[in-house]
Amino acid sequence: MISRFLLGIGLVALMLVASFGTYTYLGGRHSKVAVVAQKPTAATPRPSAFTLSGTLYLSQNGAIYSLSFGRFHQLTIEDGWTQPSLYPDGRYLLAVHRTYNYSDVYILTRFGQKIQLVVNNAGSANNSDTGSKHWSFYPRLAPDGATMFMSYDEPKFGYDVPFSIWAMPVNGTISQGRIWTNSIDYTGGDMQPVPLPNGGIIYTKYSYGPDGNLVGQIWHTTRATPTGREGEPLTDATDDCSQPSLSPAGNAIAMICTYERQDTRLEIAYWSGSSMGPRRPLIINQLVAQPTWAPDGSGIAYLAPGVPGGPFQLWFLPKNAYNPPPPSPTPVLTPTPGGPYHGTVPSPTQAPSVVATLVKPIQVTMGDDFDATSPLAWAP
Amino acid sequence: MPLGIKPGRRARASRRRLSIVRTAALAIFAIGLSAMAGSLAYYLPSAKLAWDATGQVITSAPSPSPSPISTAPSSPSPVPIYQPGAFTVLLLGSDDDSKFSADHVLTQSMILVRVIPTTKQVIMLSIPRDLYVPFWAGGSGKIDGAYSYGQAGGAVATVEQDFGVHIDEYIWIGLLGLIKLIDAIGGVDVVTSNPVIDDYYPQDIYDPYPYDFQRVAVLAGPQHLDGIHAMQYVRSRHNDLQSDIGRSKRQQQVLLAIRQKAKQVSSTDVPSIAAALGGEIKTSMGLSRVAQLIPFAATFDNPDAITSMVMLPPLWHGGGPGGSLTPNWPEILALVRQYFP
Repeated sequence: MISRFLLGIGLVALMLVASFGTYTYLGGRHSKVAVVAQKPTAATPRPSAFTLSGTLYLSQNGAIYSLSFGRFHQLTIEDGWTQPSLYPDGRYLLAVHRTYNYSDVYILTRFGQKIQLVVNNAGSANNSDTGSKHWSFYPRLAPDGATMFMSYDEPKFGYDVPFSIWAMPVNGTISQGRIWTNSIDYTGGDMQPVPLPNGGIIYTKYSYGPDGNLVGQIWHTTRATPTGREGEPLTDATDDCSQPSLSPAGNAIAMICTYERQDTRLEIAYWSGSSMGPRRPLIINQLVAQPTWAPDGSGIAYLAPGVPGGPFQLWFLPKNAYNPPPPSPTPVLTPTPGGPYHGTVPSPTQAPSVVATLVKPIQVTMGDDFDATSPLAWAP
Repeated sequence: MPLGIKPGRRARASRRRLSIVRTAALAIFAIGLSAMAGSLAYYLPSAKLAWDATGQVITSAPSPSPSPISTAPSSPSPVPIYQPGAFTVLLLGSDDDSKFSADHVLTQSMILVRVIPTTKQVIMLSIPRDLYVPFWAGGSGKIDGAYSYGQAGGAVATVEQDFGVHIDEYIWIGLLGLIKLIDAIGGVDVVTSNPVIDDYYPQDIYDPYPYDFQRVAVLAGPQHLDGIHAMQYVRSRHNDLQSDIGRSKRQQQVLLAIRQKAKQVSSTDVPSIAAALGGEIKTSMGLSRVAQLIPFAATFDNPDAITSMVMLPPLWHGGGPGGSLTPNWPEILALVRQYFP
């Protein structure tokens, strides 16, 4: 028989284990809603993981990362770096360096080293007026490799701070810049220019729609028109479309449209170089952001939450989802050589019915938290 | 009696068996008790905070300007539409930074929410903070002052009196509370309608000089917002032609995003959320009511069943005293009566 002393000691130990164990168990049963995102470089790719072609540049938590051969590499420190875009020849990157009150544009090597400050928006250190500083966002180089387009908050009028699309020599200064668009007051303005091969741009213009709600519209303009009429809208205001992306062949545009809901659709449309064909929805049940065509035409990458309400992950929609291969040619009956046959003709076997294969988007990453306001840059 | 067993030995064997049973029972009891103690230790801090935040008694303080104004609308009697289980909540959001004393903050956001469980419908109506209304205890002013003069009770009584609605519960949240709540649930996904740019956004959170300004740029499109950036998105009004009305629309977007995210929260998250919120949220709902509503909220899945409304002209026109909005009461009451019995 166990002595009372030993029994007491045993019970106390049991109670301690049970109470601490319960506390620890409950603590470990947290849902994953508030889990801090991992760095993209932390994930070890599985051998069977899906690998995208070329090199993709993305931003997370103020750092720019590249993804090639299924592995992420951190190119900059976590210090406000975002919105990378490639030089037309792919040698360098343009990127935004965002600080507390302003943002600058830099040229970086493809390994993240700073080469040149293109736009300096810090303003005078002696001027404490917050309105004296500027933001530059979405820098993109024109196909000539010399002209940089960007969204820039100049001119601004007190509380009214609309972005306009500006063009400037990438090796020049903002004083050589030229305003291209005439943004609408109190809307946020014109954002995310995409230079076109013919010298124009497509971009997103924000305006008040017919119902008074603020909406985005894809616009096209071919010349700098700081005042007056500046081209034409390509989408309806009520469709609330934004974030245009031009296909590598230059004949299709991908974009997102919300129809004024807290929901987005990934849509594509034929692009003639001056007009857009009917739009076709590709994804309707995901919160899609920043669609970007693969340079080899193999599909469209985009950002979307991995779980509803969660941080944004990298996804890929293969080309077959929106451009299925042509069906195999219908077999044509060919006469059997050797003359007419007078015997019993066997009944033909039923051909298998052709079932359209549903191509689903592929989730490339998990546990990351990519900046969904930062377009993706994709090098071949 | 079986052969070979003597009576004394049998008694000892019985005592030994009893002792083993008793020891096992004691051990099970001890484990159960300890597990309960562990659970209590885990949940007690949040229960204490939740107890403090919930079940607030609605009291009204007298208005500092008690002279009644004759422009007070005649309150309509609510139309009795029988909706079993339906209830109305008044959501109040305040700037509770150091510019104001804790008891006299303004409500920058006031949203009436009608929840109809049977049809799984939610109706939200934002009330402009600058609407010039008679206060419950007398006097008139912008409706954001109703809380300042009479705290939650004053705000609830004023809305009930002026809009002819019955309010079942209220929830008040401060600036920091919203930031902490969103961070505690791991951020929210919002499709921001446009770039929200503000060169003169108040720098009054985590800053010793609450009258300073900072620049804010919340870019447009779908994105995952943390507490600070969600706050900037719903609070900024300078670069919006619709000013307070525009940000009311944004507030409703974020509110729905919080509801969407809250569906993934489990009961074991409650302590960390409660600890994060500590003192930044108050509600008249009791703990049991909150416990009932959390799983219930998860069943509201259809976005088409959520009606979001803001008051636009002709429900009011500008030019009221002190830059306030003059209500068009017949139009307002017709709208409110339609959705809020």
